[in-house]
Amino acid sequence: MAVRARLAVLEGAARRSALSFGDARVDGRLPGGGLPLGRWHEAVGEGMEIETAAAASAFVAALTAPLAERGEVVWIMRREDLYAPGLAGLGFPAERLIQVCVRDEAEALGTLEDALGAAGVVAAIGEAESPDLIAGRRLQLACERHGATGFVIRRRLFAGEARQKGSAAATRWRVAPAPSEPALGEPGLGAPRWRVTLERCQGGRPGAWIMEKSDGPLPLRVVAELGDRQLDSPQPFHLAG
Amino acid sequence: MATERGVRRLAAVDAGAAGLGLFVGQKAADAAALAPELVIAEADPAADGQALLALADWCARFSPAVAMDAPDGLFLDITGVDHLWGGEAPIMADLAGRLAQNGIPTRMAIAGSPGAAWALAHFAPAIAAPGDEAALIWPLPVAGLRLLPADAAQIGRLGLRTIGALAALPRDQVGRRFGPEVMRRLDQALGAASEALMFRRPPSPWFARATFAEPISVPEDLARACGDIVRRLCARLEAEARGARRFDLAFHRLDGQAEQLSIGLALPGRDPAAVTRLFLPLLERVDPGFGIEVVTLAAREVETAKQKQQSLSSPISGGGDVEEISPLVDRLANRLGEGAVWRAEAFPSHAPERATKRRPPLSPVTNAGWDLERPRPVRLFRRPESIEVVAPVPDDPPLMFRWRGTAHRVRRAEGPERLGQEWWRRPFDTADPAKVRDYYRVEDEAGARFWLFRAGLYDAANPPKWWLHGLFG
Repeated sequence: MAVRARLAVLEGAARRSALSFGDARVDGRLPGGGLPLGRWHEAVGEGMEIETAAAASAFVAALTAPLAERGEVVWIMRREDLYAPGLAGLGFPAERLIQVCVRDEAEALGTLEDALGAAGVVAAIGEAESPDLIAGRRLQLACERHGATGFVIRRRLFAGEARQKGSAAATRWRVAPAPSEPALGEPGLGAPRWRVTLERCQGGRPGAWIMEKSDGPLPLRVVAELGDRQLDSPQPFHLAG
Repeated sequence: MATERGVRRLAAVDAGAAGLGLFVGQKAADAAALAPELVIAEADPAADGQALLALADWCARFSPAVAMDAPDGLFLDITGVDHLWGGEAPIMADLAGRLAQNGIPTRMAIAGSPGAAWALAHFAPAIAAPGDEAALIWPLPVAGLRLLPADAAQIGRLGLRTIGALAALPRDQVGRRFGPEVMRRLDQALGAASEALMFRRPPSPWFARATFAEPISVPEDLARACGDIVRRLCARLEAEARGARRFDLAFHRLDGQAEQLSIGLALPGRDPAAVTRLFLPLLERVDPGFGIEVVTLAAREVETAKQKQQSLSSPISGGGDVEEISPLVDRLANRLGEGAVWRAEAFPSHAPERATKRRPPLSPVTNAGWDLERPRPVRLFRRPESIEVVAPVPDDPPLMFRWRGTAHRVRRAEGPERLGQEWWRRPFDTADPAKVRDYYRVEDEAGARFWLFRAGLYDAANPPKWWLHGLFG
């Protein structure tokens, strides 16, 4: 136990701060009461999203919007289809965004690492297929240099099954769009909603929520917590008899 | 040999052919009759131009200001450079010797004005002491003035054979009789009128040069040479509180080829370590050949620059500090290309494809131009993708659509937002109602949000096409 306690102290020292979701249902599952900053995180889409990465990008953009107030954000992509007016619509300050187009996966990861380690960068977002353990470790070391927060949006340029490898990310989020609910009596679409699943979390517990883009001081609002049996901590079985 | 009006004539002769009495402009058949062993090659002006260009680049080792004088001449501005060789005569001897080693016959002259140097080089190669130009070019033929052939012929017909004879005439008569062009050329030759040479690169006083006693070729040596020369030039920039946005490094090889590397900086800089770091990855592209004897470095776009001292591990500050981010931008732009790193700026256009403009990452941008009341997708496809739709009423959003082989049932929809063609960019009569787009924002049953549009107005005969332009995510 003593070793565990010491480890926790060391990890706590390494961890600078956390980005709170402003909702105990999410923050309670994350170490340090929020998304750990100075680490890197993964966002994964589902189905067609593996190729287009639209929901994951929208979620990450909304999530990093408060960070962008404190410095530059670098977005590294292989296909130039990111649309800045759309990011601005999600509350992301697009004038703080430096976009970088790279040619291949290795270049994407190398550039992401370079951007994370650079002074003045508060967050860097890279679209990559699957960073392996070594690349993940390098990203983590780059994050620790200035406390920048990294995001890897898993994206394949051509549709197909994404290769899933183990990775060194602090958290992994699976993001899928969710049906919006406009206010009563209003036509059209409501604020964008996502079904967000926290699949992996070092030092925390997984969970699943419906989140909505909010116009308040916090970018995301938790609409509901989803009870996913697979993700909940295993319940002890009560055998009859 | 070139074909001119159906007659094949000699376009150039080498020294041996000239010794046999052949001359430029002679008919090829006559020349072949005079010298049966004559080797004739077709003239290739484009290749000559390329060779002259290569030679001009090579001459940058003597002076950073080299101007081309097509088809067969070069001007080198050696003002302030000759002392590196110990005077005008040694620099000319060095240049002539090196060109001769490469089998390039030359005629050279040094004079105070380009016009005088041209005349001397073509008719009486010499080094003119300051003030002596007029006396030296006085006896030269009028052709030394770089006149148009018609003017030269006219002057020749009047019996004026030398520049001196022409210059001795009263100025007003010369001007009236031969036109302003002749006057200008005469003044330029005599140094009375200035002449702007088109230098191959703008002359830069920010120039450093390193010569090696023994040619170098090992990569480590190249790296060290690069570091040394960068440090020297950066020390000069530092002393004058300047910074440069571009650095051009040239490795001059023994065989006369020059290997050029250049890097750009987003902010004017002079940190030798940073500049060297940007050059190092490029060094592997350098082919040293038989060895490199001279390295030159020129700084371009030099500006006054004050640089703050900053620590290596500065914590994330309040942001908005462009100087902090500039090393990263430089690294990325030099590695990936300048077009690969940008910031999006709002552009006043309602066409979605044109609503953003790429700006250099360090320029301040404003995004006031986007109307946040009109939702825009996160992903915008460069080419809209064709979809099949089921839309019952012409102006209604579709009930269902099929994209990439998957059917999506529309649960909610918003629109239309009608975007017309930007008719002011093209002739008005080419504006076409078929170019009008009606955009709809739709959500399918799973909650995925799409940006669809119908191209053109509804027409029973030609059902309009539907497209998917973006994803909201």
